Amino acid sequence: MMKVLVINAGSSSLKYQLYNMEDESVLASGRVERIGMDSSIVTHEPVDKPEVRTVDEILDHVSAVKKVLAALMHPEYGALKSMDEIQAVGHRVVHGGEVFKSSVLVTNEVKLEIRNLFDLAPLHNPAHMMGILAVETNMPNIPQVVVFDTAFHQTMPETSYLYPIPKVLYRRHKVRRYGFHGTSHQYVSEQAAEFLGAPLESLKIVSCHIGNGASCTAIKDGKSFDTSMGMTPLEGLMMGTRSGDLDPAIVPYVMNKEELTLNEVNSMLNKHSGMLAISGISSDMREVQEAIADGDRNAKLAFDMYTYRMRKYIGAYAAAMNGIDTLIFTAGVGENSAVLRKAVCEGLTFLGLELDETRNAERSKHARYISTDSSRIKVLVVPTNEELLIARDTYRIVQATV
Amino acid sequence: MSIKKVGVIGAGTMGQGIAEMLASNGLDVYLIEISSERLIYGKEMIELSLDKQIEKWALTQAEKKSIFNRIQFGESYDGLKDCELVIETITEDLDSKKAVFEQLDRICGPDVILASNTSTLSLTELASVASRPERVIGLHFIYPVFKINMVEIVRGLKTSEDTFARTKFFVENVINKKGVMVFESPGFVTSRLICLFINEALHVLEEGVASAEDIDSAMRIGYSFQHGPFEMADRFGLDSVLAALERMFREYGELKYRPSIVLKKMVRAGHLGAKSGVGFFKYDKDGDRLL
Repeated sequence: MMKVLVINAGSSSLKYQLYNMEDESVLASGRVERIGMDSSIVTHEPVDKPEVRTVDEILDHVSAVKKVLAALMHPEYGALKSMDEIQAVGHRVVHGGEVFKSSVLVTNEVKLEIRNLFDLAPLHNPAHMMGILAVETNMPNIPQVVVFDTAFHQTMPETSYLYPIPKVLYRRHKVRRYGFHGTSHQYVSEQAAEFLGAPLESLKIVSCHIGNGASCTAIKDGKSFDTSMGMTPLEGLMMGTRSGDLDPAIVPYVMNKEELTLNEVNSMLNKHSGMLAISGISSDMREVQEAIADGDRNAKLAFDMYTYRMRKYIGAYAAAMNGIDTLIFTAGVGENSAVLRKAVCEGLTFLGLELDETRNAERSKHARYISTDSSRIKVLVVPTNEELLIARDTYRIVQATV
Repeated sequence: MSIKKVGVIGAGTMGQGIAEMLASNGLDVYLIEISSERLIYGKEMIELSLDKQIEKWALTQAEKKSIFNRIQFGESYDGLKDCELVIETITEDLDSKKAVFEQLDRICGPDVILASNTSTLSLTELASVASRPERVIGLHFIYPVFKINMVEIVRGLKTSEDTFARTKFFVENVINKKGVMVFESPGFVTSRLICLFINEALHVLEEGVASAEDIDSAMRIGYSFQHGPFEMADRFGLDSVLAALERMFREYGELKYRPSIVLKKMVRAGHLGAKSGVGFFKYDKDGDRLL
């Protein structure tokens, strides 16, 4: 029986899921928080038993992985008898740069390349690397696979990924569009094609991954053609606390007027902007919705701006692909906010899009239509599952090398 | 032994800044003052500084809370027992500092690095009160600590290679500042050069060559300084500048270090710069310059 452990390592946290790849079922999942402290928390969630929380000193990722393995093999609430039952480990890695166009088996060269990308993802890649090394220490010789958030978007043409600035910046510093949420966009587009019973290559899809971060991707011929996030996840749609697109001249202007440092202006655009800044209330869509219900005008403005910007991107990508036949909503807000989907779809009727309000209001954990049967554009809600795609890639790559 | 918890002795301007910077870098901090009033004042000032960073969008409320929670405030040296590094930041007085190092030497384990933030006093003399002088070193931070990404790492005569190497690693890889190695000498590099710069500006002012405002503009715009010499002095505190010059004058015995009469007069009048609201220029209660 093939079992795969999926790991998403952050600088002070580590999430994990154990899959049985025979039926793609989750055997257990959990997370380690506050790594590096004397009161770290391990939350282990077996599928059929209540969750178990332990507080312990976990000073580094090596000890964190050790705790995870201990939880997975625990006689009472574990899911494994021995560590040998795990055949492979898959890791989420945020930045794969231009080198990684798909998931790969971890080798010394791969590790070196991930290290070379630290500059482009200083908050994420070093932490992922610690996760990979920690697995190596705890489970010597186990095959590991890395799955990149950027890899799916490596199919974008030059016209999509280059910025119209001096080309020397691309050559010297690799300044270009990379795009993110690639694993999610890939997963939901594949699911959508399956659901529609049409070959993925035949569809012109815009997928909207709307969570804390948000991005739209134009998918043509089954490949990412353009995506709204850029060199960093700051570009594109308005988000919970991120500004998304703005006139770049605002940055030096505001830095000068407010005497801001680079760190301050970075933090302003990433953590103090977006829906939080406009509503003045929250970065959370549910709280903004509640405020709108209470008659708050700023909350309404934030919501209107948010959905307006989404419509602009969907329209732009329809033009970019010279057509659109499928629109997908996914991730936390995209899967759960019927109000958001309605607001976006109502402004896109010129494309021949007709929303079915009853279908839109239904809740489900499965892929489903929310457009009418006669709608020229199929609108779908497809729950994303990045961990499953990581598990699948890991399984496929390890099978192929054995 | 990696450094996870740092003790800071003294919650004055430098102690506050150092404690805040350490906590912002994810370290646990134990901050000590000799009286509860001074401790409360230091605590309030750190909170004010974090709030000012929120105003500048550098931090979020959640980040402020987690930084603030990493700083423990206390009056007893017992809290230093599990620190791997202790930084002393009390007033620039040799005897008081010696007393602190004597205590630290007794309380802290043999591997703990004992550092002083002194800018002009002799590290070798401070270390002389310790039974293990090889673990005593200087860490001269520059105000404002969180903004200035450079620290002078000062080696006394007996500071060991191991102490220096561990300190340099801490400075460059944990708190991410450039470490400049200097050997013990009054004023090291930074204080010695900048105090002479300020003192010479005072002579230029006394001679009536130009106004304080114009001298500042000339140097600020002409040579890309962030502040001219007078605003710089106001922000350091005129009393601190005077004290540093006096010590260097005593140590080196050279006339160029003799503090300007204008500087002495202003300190006597209580015009200490930004912290007292008036120095060469005027400031509001948050230390922002009034035009």
